[in-house]
This record gives sequence, C-alpha cells and structure tokens, in this order.
Amino acid sequence: MRYDITTGPIDPRELEAAVTHSGAGAICTFSGIVRDNSRGQSVTHLDYEAYAEMAVPQMRKIGQEIKDRWPEARVAMAHRTGHLEIGEVSVVVSVSCPHRAEAFAACRWGIDELKQSVPIWKKEHAADGTHWIEGDEAKPVP
Amino acid sequence: MAVAVGIRIRFFARLREQAAVETESIEVAKGSTLADVYAILRGNHPALPGQVAVRAALNQEFADWNTTVAAGDEVVFIPPVSGGF
Repeated sequence: MRYDITTGPIDPRELEAAVTHSGAGAICTFSGIVRDNSRGQSVTHLDYEAYAEMAVPQMRKIGQEIKDRWPEARVAMAHRTGHLEIGEVSVVVSVSCPHRAEAFAACRWGIDELKQSVPIWKKEHAADGTHWIEGDEAKPVP
Repeated sequence: MAVAVGIRIRFFARLREQAAVETESIEVAKGSTLADVYAILRGNHPALPGQVAVRAALNQEFADWNTTVAAGDEVVFIPPVSGGF
C-alpha cells in the first residue's frame, strides 16, 4: 500500500511495481493526464493544491475500503500538486487483484472516491482566464 | 468571553484566496459548533461562500456541522474538490 502527495513527476509504473505480487494476475492502473482543453477553452496549464495532512489519510481510507470490498486487492495512489503542464500525469490509482474483473472494478471505484473526497483542488489556466474547478463548476478567479 | 476555546483555521484553494489568509487563530465560546465557527469566519471575511457550498473538516476528518470544537482543534472548510462532492 502506498499513498503519496508529491510535487515531482509521477511514474505509473512505480505504483504498479508497488502492487505487483506473484498472486496478482491483473493490474489496473488509472492515470489522469492534464489535457489541453476544458469547457470549450484551450488550457495552458494547471495548478493543484492539496490539504496534504488530510489528503493522505483520506487516500489511505479509500485504500482500506477497497480492501474491505475486494479483500485480495493491493492498492497504490499518488496525486501531484503544484504546476502541471499539458500531458503530465496528475493522479494515478493502481490496483492489483487475482483477476481482471475485480481489478477494473476496484480501480474505478478508487479513482471515483478519490475525486469526491480527497481534499485536492485544481486551478485551471485557460484562454478565458483562471478558474477553480469544483466538480462541474468553474469558479473564476478575480 | 468567560470560557473560550482557541482553535486554528486553515484555508485552502478558493477559500484561501477569498479569505486572503492561509491560517487564522480565533477564540470561540465553549460549546461552539463548526457551523458557529464558519459564521464567525464569514463575518471576518465576507467574501467567503455560504455554508452550503463547503464541507467542514475537524482535525483532518470530515465532520458534521453540529460537531463541537475543542481547544487546539484544527478546522478547515473544504470547497468542492476537483471531482465534486
């Protein structure tokens, strides 16, 4: 189990290595990537900000819930903070299980939970200005 | 206040910009809830959004608005995260 908040680049292969073991026949890894457009606007870059002292325990709690639901799962999660350029990895959830069905399900559940309950915020710098992205809403920064 | 408890507030993301501070230490009456604390902060920083727009966290855990604060607590009001609540 590995849960990181980091300002440096995230290598999804490192998280996969953390969940690999001889009984794991399937590893499912979700990587979130900074894309060049949002809300119909071109995006130049993002800034992520975390409440790290809470975010890491929240990630650990999600990992434990995955273990409760899929007892054979092993989980690793990482989220980057600070300035991110287009194409960089912002978040990774990697889950290993004996078989693919539970690996897909657990990974999907893990990233969805992370996006709901881990206190990390995205500030989007786009052609129409800077916005905090809060769920479906973009709140302009004056 | 005859009996007061000192707590520490931290602000993040949009709320940090709206409050224009990162941390704030305040004293509140004994028995104050997280909702009471947020009301005081909105008095200090009128730009902060209404309570319905944020969640409360007490000592690094999400907490109900009617939870009572104690001396030394760390309180954070959390705007929706990037994937929404």
